This record gives sequence, structure tokens and C-alpha cells, in this order.
Amino acid sequence: MAEPLLSVQNLYAGYEGQSVLKDVSFDVPEGGLISMLGPNGHGKTTLLRCIAGLLRPSGGHIHFAGRRIEGAEAETVVGLGVVLIPQGDMLFPDMSVYDNLKMGAYLPRVRKTFDQDVENIYEILPRLKERTTQLARTLSGGERRMLAIGRGLLAGGRILMIDEPSLGLAPIVIDQIYEIITDLKASGRTILLVEENASRIIDLADRIHLLDTGHIVWAGDGKELQNNQQVLETYLGG
Amino acid sequence: MNFFIQIIVSGLTFGAMYALAAVGLALVWGAFNMLNMAHGIIMTLGAYFVLVWAELFGLPLWFAGPFAFLAGGIVGAIIYFISAHWMLTQKNFEVTIIIATFGLGMALEAGLMKLLRELFQAAPYAQPLSLGADSFLVGDVPVSYQRLIIWAVAVALIVLVALFLTRTTMGRAIRATAQNRDAARLMGVKVKRVYVIVLALASGLAGVAGIMLSSFKDVVPLMGQTPMLKAFIVIVLAGLGNMTGALYAALLIGMVEAAVKVLVADKWGFLAMLVVVVIAIIWRPAGLFGKHQIARQ
Repeated sequence: MAEPLLSVQNLYAGYEGQSVLKDVSFDVPEGGLISMLGPNGHGKTTLLRCIAGLLRPSGGHIHFAGRRIEGAEAETVVGLGVVLIPQGDMLFPDMSVYDNLKMGAYLPRVRKTFDQDVENIYEILPRLKERTTQLARTLSGGERRMLAIGRGLLAGGRILMIDEPSLGLAPIVIDQIYEIITDLKASGRTILLVEENASRIIDLADRIHLLDTGHIVWAGDGKELQNNQQVLETYLGG
Repeated sequence: MNFFIQIIVSGLTFGAMYALAAVGLALVWGAFNMLNMAHGIIMTLGAYFVLVWAELFGLPLWFAGPFAFLAGGIVGAIIYFISAHWMLTQKNFEVTIIIATFGLGMALEAGLMKLLRELFQAAPYAQPLSLGADSFLVGDVPVSYQRLIIWAVAVALIVLVALFLTRTTMGRAIRATAQNRDAARLMGVKVKRVYVIVLALASGLAGVAGIMLSSFKDVVPLMGQTPMLKAFIVIVLAGLGNMTGALYAALLIGMVEAAVKVLVADKWGFLAMLVVVVIAIIWRPAGLFGKHQIARQ
């Protein structure tokens, strides 16, 4: 079996002495869509922040493409090809949509091809093309999420980590976002997807991990999750 | 009518100098919440470098500005590496960096005075780059060519900074860092490099502002103090970190100061300026153009 692209081993992390992640281990194989499922406040975002280099883990290892990346700076990690589309979008509020996208292609590896790449992004996310000169802070919630996704896609990279793409959006917008994610998966992108809503990922994810109070309490594929009434009721409220 | 012209002429000059000093401060605060208390001494150093080089090596006039910019920039980068670089992860960085740069500024000032005492005769010096009192008339008010050059240089530099920030990859990275530091890092921006560049740029502008100041007054070791204080007042009035606001605030402050100096008396200028600022801050605690509260959540 080939080595997984991303491998997290016995990861511990927290803020100011309060531990959030306890002994978290999982793999993301190249081309796979792996999901972290669980209620809010149970460490999903902390996990992605650790992998992306925004938070230094207190223990354990993270391997990406054969390199240890735990404790590396975020600006280094993204250079290696780990791209995070963060929760709350983290846009540059006083920059135009176009400049936000251009920041997505900041790394030398994608800067030169930005002009072509951005056209592809406009095709996937036509809404952004209508808004190019608008400031990011004037966008609607759905548009903001699309901008965050477009910006993340422009960074290239070998793995895309998406934090709660459906958070705070209207169902119809969530449908659009998940259509995009489904297309990304079909095109062979490696994706680590954090989600609170099981129904959105049951058919989509190759493997689902259930994160509860900082532990992975269950792992399996969508079908197994659907058939496991006990897990569904205990952790996801039916 | 003459009063009016006099106020405009003198207000624009003060405003231009304050703007140049304040834009740098605003830029640095915006990028990484650093208030650089050594900004004043950098202005002084800019003036001295030009003076010393002109006296010793016969610096050509056209090169004075670029030279002061470069020298100021290098001092700024050095200040970054001996203070901020090691303090970034501290919890109270905003406070500790003020104390650290205040101390650094004092040390530089003391060193400068000692050096001068040993190398030269007593200060003050006249800035050799001053164009003197040659002037032309607007209405009945004489306007010196010196002022014209100050306006031209200040406007040109501010336009250049604006172009740099909006049109270049590094400029965009600086704005991104100021607006959301973690997001900028996620895009691959090496934020520490951004900090050095921003501080060097701000200090370069301070160096140039130093020549402008010294062309009006003499070159003395403490000459940067009051202008720095005024530049701080400008950025607080504008709303910390707001660059465009800082430009308007600098002009406003310059005009108020000029108006009081012309209409009342010289000594009331600074006081009037402070009164305006206090009232403005009570009225709008986040500054005239500030969107956010100053304290971090």
C-alpha cells in the first residue's frame, strides 16, 4: 500500500494549557476525500489549524508527502502544498475580490499562471466574476465562502483542507458549495473536509472520522455510518 | 485674504511633513501593531546623515533624498532585528515594543550627541540643503521655493507608497498582512519579511521627512521629538492603522496649527492642535476615520 499523502499520528494540541485534541491519528491518501465529522467545539478547527501550521501541537507527528511538518510555520506549510480554506473564510476585507484571489496565487509556484487560473475559477464560481472590483467585506455570506474557496483553489497545492463549508449558509447555497466539492473530488483532488452535518458527506466521503471532545471515537465509510444507529444517535443526535 | 493664503501655505507645509512621518507610523501599526517610538530619532538621523555627508564628501543635492531614504531604511531594519523580531510572540507586544523602541531611541539619541561632541563642534547646524529664503509671491504672501519642494517631494513619495501598496505583489502582501495576518500566512506570505520591509519603508520616509524639517530649523539631536509626537497625534486622530485617514488628519492638523499661529500667536499652535485632538477623540474614540476600537478583543 502506498504511503498516505497526509498522516497524523497521536496528535495533541490545545490553547493555554487547555487540551483540545487528544491522541488523534488518521491518514489521508492521495486522491481521497476524508472527512472529520463532529459537533462544534470538539476540536475539528483546531486540528486543521495544527496541520496548516497556525497552531503548534503539544505532541504527536504530522507527515505530509514524507516530510514532518508539525511545528512548521503556516507560510512554509502552504509552500509544501497544504492549503487550508479556513472557517469564517478569513478574507482580506478591505481588498477587492480580484485582489483576494490574487493573494491566493501569492506563492511563486502559481503566481505566473494566475491570469489563466483565475479564468478557470470564474468558470467554477461565476458569481465571483460579477464581483471582481467589489470589496470582500461587502459580499454576502455565500459569496464570501465562494471567494474563500476560489482563493484556496488558486493556491494549487496537493491537499485541500476545507473547514465547515456549510456553516451559516442557506441550504440552496450549501447545495452549490457541495456541488463544487463533488466536482473537485471527481477531478482527483485530495481533500480533508471538516463538517458538522453528517447528511452532507455520507455519500461523498471515502472515509469519515467522528471527532468528539478531542478524540476520534469512530471511523468508517458513509454506508457504515448510516447503518450504525448507535453512533448516529450518541454523537450526532440521530 | 492674505491671512487666508498664509494659513493655506503654511498649513500645507506642516501637513505635508506630518503626513510623511505619520504614513510610516500608520503603515507599521497596521502591519503588526507596532508603535515605533524611535521614529523621531530616525528623522533626526536622516537630517544628520545628509548633513555629515554633504559636509565631508560634498553630497550632490539630487542625491540627498534617496540617501536619507536609504539610510533611514537601514536604521529601521536594524531596529526591527534588535527589538521587534525577538518580541513578536510576546503577549503584550503592543506595549513592550513601545518601551523597547523608546529605549532604543534614547540610546541612539545619546550616542548621536556623544559622537557629535567628539567629531564636530557644538550643534546646531544649518542644513546645507536648504534653498534659503528665495521666494515668489502669491497675492502678497511670499512662498519660498523650499516649501514648493517639500510639497512636491511629499506628494511624490506618498503617491509612490500608494502605488507600491496597491500595484505590487509585496504591497498586496503588506495590505493582506495588515487586514488578516493569519490569512496572509495561509497564502504563503512570510510575514516577518513583511514586517522588516514595512519598518524599513516607514523609516526611509522618516529619513526624508527629517531633511524637510531641518531645512526649516537647524539640525539638532532632539529635532525629531516634536514632529514624532505630532505624527503620533495624527495617527491617533485618524484611527490607528488607517493610512488614507492619516493623510487627511495630517493636513487637518497642519491647517489648524497654521491657522492658530497666523491668527493668534505662534506659541498657541501646538496647544490648539491638542485641544482639537482631545475633542475629536472624545467624540469618536476610534479616531475620525477609524472603523475599529483600538483595544484588541
